[in-house]
Amino acid sequence: MPRTKYKFNPDSLSFDKVRLGVKALLLRFLAFFTGSVIIAVVYWVIFGFFFDSPEEKVLKREVEQMTIQYSLIHREMTNIENVLDDLQKTDDNLYRTIFEAEPIPATLREGGVGGVSRFKELEGYNNSNLVIETAARLDKIRKKVYVQSKSFDDLIDLARKKEEMLRSVPAILPISNKDLKRTASGFGLRIHPIYKIIKFHYGMDFTAPAGTDVYSTGNGVVVARLSSKRGFGNHIIIDHGFGYTSLYAHLSNFNVRVGQKVQRGDVIGFVGSTGTSVANHLHYEIKLNGTNVDPVNYYFEDLSPAEYERMIEIASKTGQSFD
Amino acid sequence: MKLQYSLIGRQLDNSVSTLNSFRLSDDIRYRPILDMDTISESFRKGGYGGVDRFRDLSGYLNSDLLISYRSKIEEIKNMANVQNESFKTIKDRSSEWIREMDHFPGISPVNVIFRLGDGFKFRDVHPVLGTARWHYGQDFRVPYGTEVYATGDGKVIESGWNSGGFGNYIIIDHGYGLRSTYGHLSEIKVAKGMNIRRCDLIGLSGSTGTSSGPHLHYEINQFGQHKNPINFFNNDMSEEEFNEMIQAFGSKSKFR
Repeated sequence: MPRTKYKFNPDSLSFDKVRLGVKALLLRFLAFFTGSVIIAVVYWVIFGFFFDSPEEKVLKREVEQMTIQYSLIHREMTNIENVLDDLQKTDDNLYRTIFEAEPIPATLREGGVGGVSRFKELEGYNNSNLVIETAARLDKIRKKVYVQSKSFDDLIDLARKKEEMLRSVPAILPISNKDLKRTASGFGLRIHPIYKIIKFHYGMDFTAPAGTDVYSTGNGVVVARLSSKRGFGNHIIIDHGFGYTSLYAHLSNFNVRVGQKVQRGDVIGFVGSTGTSVANHLHYEIKLNGTNVDPVNYYFEDLSPAEYERMIEIASKTGQSFD
Repeated sequence: MKLQYSLIGRQLDNSVSTLNSFRLSDDIRYRPILDMDTISESFRKGGYGGVDRFRDLSGYLNSDLLISYRSKIEEIKNMANVQNESFKTIKDRSSEWIREMDHFPGISPVNVIFRLGDGFKFRDVHPVLGTARWHYGQDFRVPYGTEVYATGDGKVIESGWNSGGFGNYIIIDHGYGLRSTYGHLSEIKVAKGMNIRRCDLIGLSGSTGTSSGPHLHYEINQFGQHKNPINFFNNDMSEEEFNEMIQAFGSKSKFR
């Protein structure tokens, strides 16, 4: 039952029913409405402060999980970094030493990481620091992995080249030399056959009858095939690459042309006594980067360790060279 | 007896291996150096055989043993004989080879510090005659009175004045078809017919004959043909080495 309001009317001395206008009704309604809204807001705010909504609860749990995940990722990244460091060490100390390459400088490995503002879009959040740190570490790892993979690419190249190098570097005896009896005179001071004084002999002499096959001691290219009446007589120079050249002198005849590619063991010429020579023999020289080296150290394919010892003994005897 | 025989057998094996090593060095070292043919296998092994040679030993209990040792001894004797002969020929050949090496005109006639002059070539203008003609030798730009050495063992076949342009000159016959000529000398120290050795002092350089200044003219003749002397000596010695060589040969020399 609605409450009816009455108003005393002094004129008629009676209570008249009060009739409210539309405006008053509206005002009243508005007042009510605003009041309730304000109360609702106050309540909501108060509740929001002290109690979580289910959604918030879910989100918070997610954030927590995320943080745990991040820390897990961090641990993983530490592991990866350790592994990378190990790889880097192996790379520097092992492979690069084996293949005689320079180690990659640390500045190059670490370089390129930095710049503070790169992660600006990640700033301003609750967990910004964590996220930024992770992103930075990831970047660093990516960079390291890239450098490392490049380095391994280089190493593979080097390994391939090494194979080629092993095939090219002089490594066998230039003539067949059973029992090493053909070795006549080694590298070093030797009595000159005509001057009869001690002169330096820059190669190794092998005695063999005229016409004996002379072999190329490594893969390479014939760079010179010269005939001369003095000095080396008919001689062949083979460029093996990697700084090595070998020379075969006093040949009676040639079996190769200039520019021809030869393999280890190919017959390139025949023993003779041309040029300044007093007997049929082969004069064999090896040059490394333009300097004569002792050929006795370049027979590792042919000789067993015991034979090598004997060869060194024979070669070190101060015999007479045949020039 | 049997023990004795086995001991003897071991010794025989030893001598066989020694002989084999001799044979190897013979075939592989000495003969190639001296440019000789190797002795064929059949020749080395040949000359023994004949089954009945040991007939007087057969018929005993250990005949087989006896006969095998006897035949082995025969074999060794044979091998040793062949080897001995071979070494004899090698020795002959090597002494001949050494003689040949000593006679080869293989050094520079003057000290290597002096520069080379005109070589073996066709000269468009002869420095004195002014005409084009062959220059058959090697000139050394040496000052007046420089010592000239024989370049190899040999015999002086000519020494004296040559009116053809050499002035005071010496020709040495080294044998093996080789002759060397030294021209424009100021003084000659050897006489015709003398046997001389490498590095003997044979004269002093000068500028006699058709010469425009003091120098030594050096020619090499092989079987009557002019050869380029530059191919016969090495100019890559140092002065000390040259002096050392002159000293080394001088100790053997009859003249100094």
